[in-house]
Amino acid sequence: MSGKSVALRVGRYRPEHAAEPYFDEYDVPASDDMVVLDALNYVKDHVDGSLAYRWSCRMGVCGSCGMMVNGVPRLTCSTFLREFRSEPIVVEPLRYFPVIRDLVVDMTDFLEKLRMVKPWIIRGEDKPVEEGEYLQTPDEVDRYKQFSMCINCMLCFSACPVYGQDPDFLGPAVIALAHRYNLDSRDQGRAERQKVLELNNGIWDCTFVGECTVVCPKDVDPAAAIQRSKVSTATATLRSVVWPFGGRE
Amino acid sequence: MVPPRLDELSLGDILDTSDAREVKPGIPRARRRRGPGLRELLRPEPMFWGLFSAGGFVAALLVPVHVAILGIAFAAGWLPQDALSYDRVVDLVRDPIVKLYLLGLVSLPLFHWAHRFRFAVHHQLGIRGGRRLMGLACYGTALAGTALTAFVLLRT
Amino acid sequence: MKSEAPRRYPVYVPKVPRTWWLRSAPFLRFAARELTAVFAAAFSVILLLFLSALSEGRDAYAGFLRWLRLPGIVAFSAIILAAMLYHAVTWFRLTAHIQEIRLGGRLVPRGIVVAALIVVWMVVSVMVAYLHVWF
Repeated sequence: MSGKSVALRVGRYRPEHAAEPYFDEYDVPASDDMVVLDALNYVKDHVDGSLAYRWSCRMGVCGSCGMMVNGVPRLTCSTFLREFRSEPIVVEPLRYFPVIRDLVVDMTDFLEKLRMVKPWIIRGEDKPVEEGEYLQTPDEVDRYKQFSMCINCMLCFSACPVYGQDPDFLGPAVIALAHRYNLDSRDQGRAERQKVLELNNGIWDCTFVGECTVVCPKDVDPAAAIQRSKVSTATATLRSVVWPFGGRE
Repeated sequence: MVPPRLDELSLGDILDTSDAREVKPGIPRARRRRGPGLRELLRPEPMFWGLFSAGGFVAALLVPVHVAILGIAFAAGWLPQDALSYDRVVDLVRDPIVKLYLLGLVSLPLFHWAHRFRFAVHHQLGIRGGRRLMGLACYGTALAGTALTAFVLLRT
Repeated sequence: MKSEAPRRYPVYVPKVPRTWWLRSAPFLRFAARELTAVFAAAFSVILLLFLSALSEGRDAYAGFLRWLRLPGIVAFSAIILAAMLYHAVTWFRLTAHIQEIRLGGRLVPRGIVVAALIVVWMVVSVMVAYLHVWF
């Protein structure tokens, strides 16, 4: 692909000029090692400085550069131009989120929901510092490790048709992170999180489409987290009905 | 002309926002919701999901063979002559364990359908309103089917 | 720390088309999978009719058996069977996705779990067929 150029079709939205979004087409000199983010940076630096988009680490760990590339939610820093056989390559803002400008979406909904599930260690009683740190065996870490890999890139939200139809839905990443803390042996906050997860817009809204897991760039497998939450909640409910005495938090 | 101080400027002074839509403060697309009350915590969702799950296993493990026998093998003449004869079947169905099995075989796939259908109407057909009514109608149908089956089985 | 000033910027909220599930192969497969539940319910109804005819006596039962032989009913049964087989395969794959099985501390690969469930399905089917037909 060296010496060639690639056509990019980029979604634009500039509310001070027009109420509706539109597309701009750019020709970007391309090489085999270029990713979509490189192409966008070229556009910004040499062609059209008004293009607005988020990016940071350019190596797939910060979760900033999520966008729709040819209709699929991708991290643009990890999407090589050479993957695409046909042009133009269409870059649009992350689906199902309000668009603030060009490729920048409003993350407020996601951040509010994330806060609702309290993604941090909750203790009934904190251990005093003198008693040392909370110890964990490698097996205990393995229980939640996969779900801790989330970089909050929101690609899973864009892949989730339930979230698309029902913006009230908590969403894959949020539930996966709640699950991560529920599985953490140091955590004692399961009951508090369950109150949120068991609401109408929580785990029960999910119909296990599974696309969230497919698009996740860090193999978090949010679909598995949600279904396992359903299983544990249902069995806990059954147990409390059949044997309503005691029980874990 | 004295230029305005930066801290006196607002976005509206710089941009022409005459065609903009105002975003209400708070969550743009999700409703702010009060904490869960007792009613919400007593919701039957785990039970419905459990029934859906059980129904899914019944539909996967048991229904194919029953459909193959009743729906296809019988008409094709592949079954022994008296396999579905009245006397033999009545005898089988009189057994209480068989009655329990048959109750599950009818009821659980109905609850499986009810749960999936209720979501499919909302997600695939895009019918937004009346979710609670739809849920009631679906589970109600499944419950009715179960009750009817129990009645028929007790009568046999 | 929440900001004091209310957010005031314009946003564009795209409409989500109702035909979202027609637009990609994974979503179509998902819709097909969910649709199989309708055929499961159809089977339940047929079985209920069977039991109802049985409880009403010989004549009603004989009439129902005649109905079962109608070519239209047989064709519909074939469709139900196909739907239930698709349901079974997708159900087993979903189950393997959710349920982690450990043998001797190692995780059993999902393909093996699915194969094991298919074996269970075959065994159960044979048992049911025997009890239903030859017992």
